[in-house]
Amino acid sequence: MEEVDRILLNSLRQSGADIAEDVESVRQLTTELIVECVVRCLRILNPALGNGVSHLLPPGMSARFRIGMCLAQACQELGYQGEIGYQTFLYSNEPEIRRLLMFLVEKLPRDSADTADQPAEKSVLLQRLIATKIKQQLASAWLPPALRTTSLLNTQNSCLMNKFHSQALSLLSPSAPPLSPSQQSLLFTELWEYWEQHQPPVTAQAWDQACVAASVLERATADLSAVQEWEAEWNSQGLVSRLSPEEYKARKRQRLQSRIQEYLKQSSQRSEVRAGLAGTPAPDLTDPRPDHRCLRAKHSRFIHTEKFTFTQVSEDLSLHFSHQFPPPTPQDVQAEQQKEVRELEKQLKSLGEQIQDVRTAMETQTLTVNQVSEETRDRELSAEEKQQLLHIRKRALDLLPDAEGNLSKLQAVMEASAQRLVSLAGQWEKHRVPLIAEHRRLKQQLDSHELESSRRLMEIKEFHEKIKTSAEEAKRKENVHRQLVLELEHLSRGVGRAAYTQRILEIVSNISKQKEEITKILSDTKELQKEINSLTGKLDRTFAVTDELLFKDAKRDEAVRKAYKYLAALHENCSQLIETIEDTGTILREVRDLEELIDLETGKKTLINLEKILEDHRAIRQENAGLAGRLREA
Amino acid sequence: MELPESALAGLQSLAHPARLPHKTFQLLLEAAFHNLLHPQADGTALDHAELGSLDPTLLKQSYAAITTCILEAGKQNADKSTLSTLLEECRFGSERIDTFCTEYQKNKGKVEALLGSIGRYPSHITDVSWRLEYHIRNNHLHKVNQPSYLLTLKAENGEARSAEDVTFSCSMEQLQDLLGKLKDAAKSMEKASQM
Repeated sequence: MEEVDRILLNSLRQSGADIAEDVESVRQLTTELIVECVVRCLRILNPALGNGVSHLLPPGMSARFRIGMCLAQACQELGYQGEIGYQTFLYSNEPEIRRLLMFLVEKLPRDSADTADQPAEKSVLLQRLIATKIKQQLASAWLPPALRTTSLLNTQNSCLMNKFHSQALSLLSPSAPPLSPSQQSLLFTELWEYWEQHQPPVTAQAWDQACVAASVLERATADLSAVQEWEAEWNSQGLVSRLSPEEYKARKRQRLQSRIQEYLKQSSQRSEVRAGLAGTPAPDLTDPRPDHRCLRAKHSRFIHTEKFTFTQVSEDLSLHFSHQFPPPTPQDVQAEQQKEVRELEKQLKSLGEQIQDVRTAMETQTLTVNQVSEETRDRELSAEEKQQLLHIRKRALDLLPDAEGNLSKLQAVMEASAQRLVSLAGQWEKHRVPLIAEHRRLKQQLDSHELESSRRLMEIKEFHEKIKTSAEEAKRKENVHRQLVLELEHLSRGVGRAAYTQRILEIVSNISKQKEEITKILSDTKELQKEINSLTGKLDRTFAVTDELLFKDAKRDEAVRKAYKYLAALHENCSQLIETIEDTGTILREVRDLEELIDLETGKKTLINLEKILEDHRAIRQENAGLAGRLREA
Repeated sequence: MELPESALAGLQSLAHPARLPHKTFQLLLEAAFHNLLHPQADGTALDHAELGSLDPTLLKQSYAAITTCILEAGKQNADKSTLSTLLEECRFGSERIDTFCTEYQKNKGKVEALLGSIGRYPSHITDVSWRLEYHIRNNHLHKVNQPSYLLTLKAENGEARSAEDVTFSCSMEQLQDLLGKLKDAAKSMEKASQM
């Protein structure tokens, strides 16, 4: 029984009931605990039924009664066969409660433990890892620096730290830079030569050995994220534009270049204006210094927005400008240079003014030239018109002498031409109709093609999505698998299970032993019975023989008659004695039965329950009286 | 674990038994680990007789790939299974995978230490000494009669630098506040480890 109780209580604890650890058998459960256990089980088995009932027993008697009724009904609905009512919960007795709890626990879903721990996500895993590390480090004691082992050196903060500093690495890139073929081959051979002969290995490239790891890691991340960014952009925008990747890139480069040019133009204009306002000469475009700052700003913005796909352009730019930085010079040279610069600036200023003047003059000249050329064009047009008019009039004048004939001739010509026109129109129609039909057909085809292609595009997009989701799913599942394998390794291999099986085997062997004993006792009893029977038969026979002999002699001898009487009395007494013994046996058995019954009844805690019932009855009466009093008051 | 394409290409070129004998592979691997963990600036990283016979571009590419792979694996705390799947994808043979993994396991702690040494720590407090002083009077007040504590926190930061100590004085309430804060911090650490 203890074993059963322990299993029962364990599963009840798992179902969420708040049972103290020292409770070891069902007998120790109080009414409150019983109600809580049953409600928790019901909530798991049938949430609709269980959620309506509180797992805390209310103080009011009538409410308790109602909860008891509810629970009893719910249990019956779940298919509990035994007798059940409010009394089962409120005035519990051990066997009934045990039966009920066993029924409920058997019904509990077995895999609740499996569903409980959902596959943890990556962040949760990481947090767990961090937690274990922290625990480890908390557990280890602090040691003075001289005593630290190498593993402690890292955790107890005595290794030399290096700031994160990374440096661009030159790696052999598998894809050649996109350039025109002639340029490409030239550059490629040169690059190849560099890679082959002069490029130092990765770990020797950094100026400080401490930043090798950081640089390599940063390079890897940058490459990876560039690929990812390009893929994301291609999927979101590139596919829709219906261009091949190369075309798309080319177009984007063009767009960017035009934007840069525009920006350069704007900034140079702005600086010109600024220079004009300040009265200083306009900075020449070949001098990169004033523009360099805004370019840098632009450049960095580009880097932010178009970071990875088009670093080429910005790199070129930065390279270009970094070349033209003047190298630092000593002071005296600088002074001299400044003087020279001032002179040159003066010169430049005068030249600029001259240029400005010439420019304005030129502008007015071009304006007048334009005007004049327009006028000539107009005149030419009008002259042509007039010449045509002259021609027509000359023809009319030529025809005037033979007016009649010419008129009729003209009419004939006109008719012929009209007929020809009609026939031509007919022919045109003949050609036109099939052509129009063809045109329409082609147009329709085009439409359908377009539809088809957009459909395909959608499909492609869908596939991309699917690929992405399935890849994620696969990764997630792999993680879960790994984690579960880890957990499995960590799990203490089923101690409880082994113990239980051993216990079960023990019990089975016990039972078989008991069975053997029972059969032995049964055979003993049978033997005894047989012996008794044979003895009774022997006695009967002996008695009969003796009886006959004595009876025969009793007529002749007085003493024998007396002996015969004694014999009869002895026989009667003996049979009485046997009867008494048998009666004693039955009575003893009855006594044992009764004792068992008494035990059972005491197990039901009838007396205590009766007292409890009486108390509760009193409480209900009081409640009722109170309610009646309130009713009367109302 | 994800690696950039250049690194993957480098690893793939390592997988060919014909192009790269196993012995050389092992040498290259050891050289990569050694150069990462014991950096030398003189550029003699790959000056080994047997490595010299290889195509220099291939050698450099593979070397860069191995270095990236090792560092990424250390960064992501990759275990043996992750690493071997990655290498399998690069068509490595089982023998080379084993070699790589054993070498990695052997040096994992050092790689972690190397990665851990990037960044900075605040100083560690290792000891504290204190003194109680009692203000009886000052220039302005005849009677002050207030206790105050002079605390010196001994800190250490790295093995090379001897850290400077932090000295301050505080009243009793401030000291209690500090103590409460420290207790809170310790409790938070414990809570974080309970997760």
